[in-house]
Amino acid sequence: MAFVLDASDQELKTVSRQLREMLNEQPVVVKNAAHLHGLAAGLKHGEVIIEGCSGDYLGVLNDGATITVKGDAGKYLADNMTRGKVLVEGEADYGAGQYCYGGTVVIKGSAGDFTATMNKGATIIVGGDVGCEAGTYMLAGELIIVGNAGANLGNYLIRGSIYVGGEWASLGHNTRLEPLSEEDVQRLKSYFAEYGIQADPRRFRKLIPLSTKPFYK
Amino acid sequence: MPVIGTFCVSVHKDVCINAQSPGKCATCVEVCPYGVYAIDAQGQVNVQNYNTCVGCRICAEFCPANAIRINPAESEYVSRYPWTFGQVEEIHYKSLTGGYLLRGFGTAGPLPHFDGIVVVPSQLASKSPRDKYREECRMEVVIGEDRAEKPIVLHYPIVFPAMSFGALSREAKLALAIGTAKTGIFTNTGEGGLVPEEPYYVHGYADPESKEQKWSPGGSLVIQWSTGRWGVSADYVNAGDAVEIKIGQGAKPGMGGHLLGAKVTEEVAAVRGIPVGSDALSPCRYYDVLSFEDMRKMVAFLRDVTDYKKPILMKLGPSRPYDDVRMAAEAGVDAISIDGICGGTGASPDVVTQGVGIPTIACIPPAVRALKDLGLHRKVKLIALGGIRNGLDAFKALAMGADAVGFGTAAEIAMGCRACMACHMGNCPYGITSQRPELRARLDPEEAGQRLANFVLATAEEIKILTMLSGHDDIRDLSEEDLRAVDLNTAAITGLKMIGYERRLPWWENGYGS
Repeated sequence: MAFVLDASDQELKTVSRQLREMLNEQPVVVKNAAHLHGLAAGLKHGEVIIEGCSGDYLGVLNDGATITVKGDAGKYLADNMTRGKVLVEGEADYGAGQYCYGGTVVIKGSAGDFTATMNKGATIIVGGDVGCEAGTYMLAGELIIVGNAGANLGNYLIRGSIYVGGEWASLGHNTRLEPLSEEDVQRLKSYFAEYGIQADPRRFRKLIPLSTKPFYK
Repeated sequence: MPVIGTFCVSVHKDVCINAQSPGKCATCVEVCPYGVYAIDAQGQVNVQNYNTCVGCRICAEFCPANAIRINPAESEYVSRYPWTFGQVEEIHYKSLTGGYLLRGFGTAGPLPHFDGIVVVPSQLASKSPRDKYREECRMEVVIGEDRAEKPIVLHYPIVFPAMSFGALSREAKLALAIGTAKTGIFTNTGEGGLVPEEPYYVHGYADPESKEQKWSPGGSLVIQWSTGRWGVSADYVNAGDAVEIKIGQGAKPGMGGHLLGAKVTEEVAAVRGIPVGSDALSPCRYYDVLSFEDMRKMVAFLRDVTDYKKPILMKLGPSRPYDDVRMAAEAGVDAISIDGICGGTGASPDVVTQGVGIPTIACIPPAVRALKDLGLHRKVKLIALGGIRNGLDAFKALAMGADAVGFGTAAEIAMGCRACMACHMGNCPYGITSQRPELRARLDPEEAGQRLANFVLATAEEIKILTMLSGHDDIRDLSEEDLRAVDLNTAAITGLKMIGYERRLPWWENGYGS
């Protein structure tokens, strides 16, 4: 039995304080929260379900909670997350999974430009396509794109890896193809099984940094 | 211009212990991190390569016989200007390497600064002076009293602005924490993450479990939230007493930072949360802020993450102070730090440090005007940074309308630095801006912390003297009327009354923007 929190016409402070109080072993369902930006910020535990769409910066600094969005997510989803899970059943706008240190972000639909920019250790899975500059300046972690990617994919990739199921418009600086290992295939397979994504891991291509000490112009 | 070859090293052989008895002393060889001195097979010390001398003077400081003199090679300045020795060397450096010059320590050379301003004392036509020796003077500054549930209280209108771990050594960061704890001001983590001891050191505790304060009265820690987000988590944001959103800095406004992989040691990597040896590039802008609305949302979620308890600050580089400060205040922050061109402990390309940004004295008046236009002056606190050296500069900044001042470069000097401007090379002979263990061992955090505390307390006394002789017993009562510009340039830039003329220059009289 989940708690239900209706956020209609309420301010972030009010909803956030109520949400923190309600969070325990029961999930909390938040309704009508699309106008709230930075909801479920810095949570350490619990499960939050957003009915409908979310605002920007949902789950920023998330440190252990599981957050599910039933609709679409706004900009900067799971910004700077360190632990936990953020799942989006619809699509995500610009900049999903930026600056993340850890945890998992799963977007069933497509994601916008600058997805997983400066990822420092999180696993970011996009079921659809991503926009331009996905995985820019990634320092660690992995970005898995089931569909197609836009221009400048993995620009100045420093560490970490990017897996792409479809095509890309162009590659950024400092990326190179690396053959998929059996371990990679098994890992992708388990992610797809866990999150209900229909895709064949063996047709994915893997990108890694060309050099760990790239030359910057 | 800190170009290689700008210093002459001379050793007085008459007093040098090694020259008298070879093998007996080689202190200069040991302390110099740049290889200026060498010892030969006979044990004799020679000046092997004075071209590498950066002028840090650690050899002169440590020489037991006081035999070393370091003189700047500036004699050609007059005769060959603008082709000074430094300029010639700079061109040679570029033509040989294809690279540009990097350095730390802010702008060198003459720019309009606080020296063009004097303080007006109280006499007959004003309030009577206050007695510094027998009367009280309120110096306290409260940040965030309107919006934050736990505002920061500074005992003096002084702060240590952001200098990151990575740029500074761990020992220097701890010294700043101890200096802060001993004076009740605030220090800032900078963008390089948190040194584990910092939060409890700043509050005056030598270990996290201790109930007893070792250093009183205890200060505050400002956590910096920056474009690279190094080592940032919910715990990091909540580890201090306030959060500062960094937009820019005086050393390199408009540029990001670049910590080379070679400097990302195991310790730095752990604090920044990145792999050892990977380059730590701070972007020049926030990837997660595309508009002013996003910035407002960022301020709002940082308030939420800190449970509405902690003040939110913003740091700006010297660009368009009126508009920038106005927007920062409208974004909903509690205090705004504005850096002048003279500020900047950070390493940056020489052309940026030298020529990008506007001087501190030109930043303060428009910033104050912006806050006054919004009815927020003295509510949203203004912290002036950039080349503030002593109580006199600090007093002038406060009287121009700032609520507090920051000592960055001055704090480094208080720890022992000799301003050789070679911080970026990672060989700081005083262990302040180096990650080399043997150099870091030269800096004792407790001793340097005491030096910082002494410096802050002495400076605070200077501010107090000047406040009271101006007829005030509260720094919030200081105003532009307590200052005069001594030259036309300063009067034109600052809008202060000019000496002799006793009025503001006409375009200031007719209103801002006319």
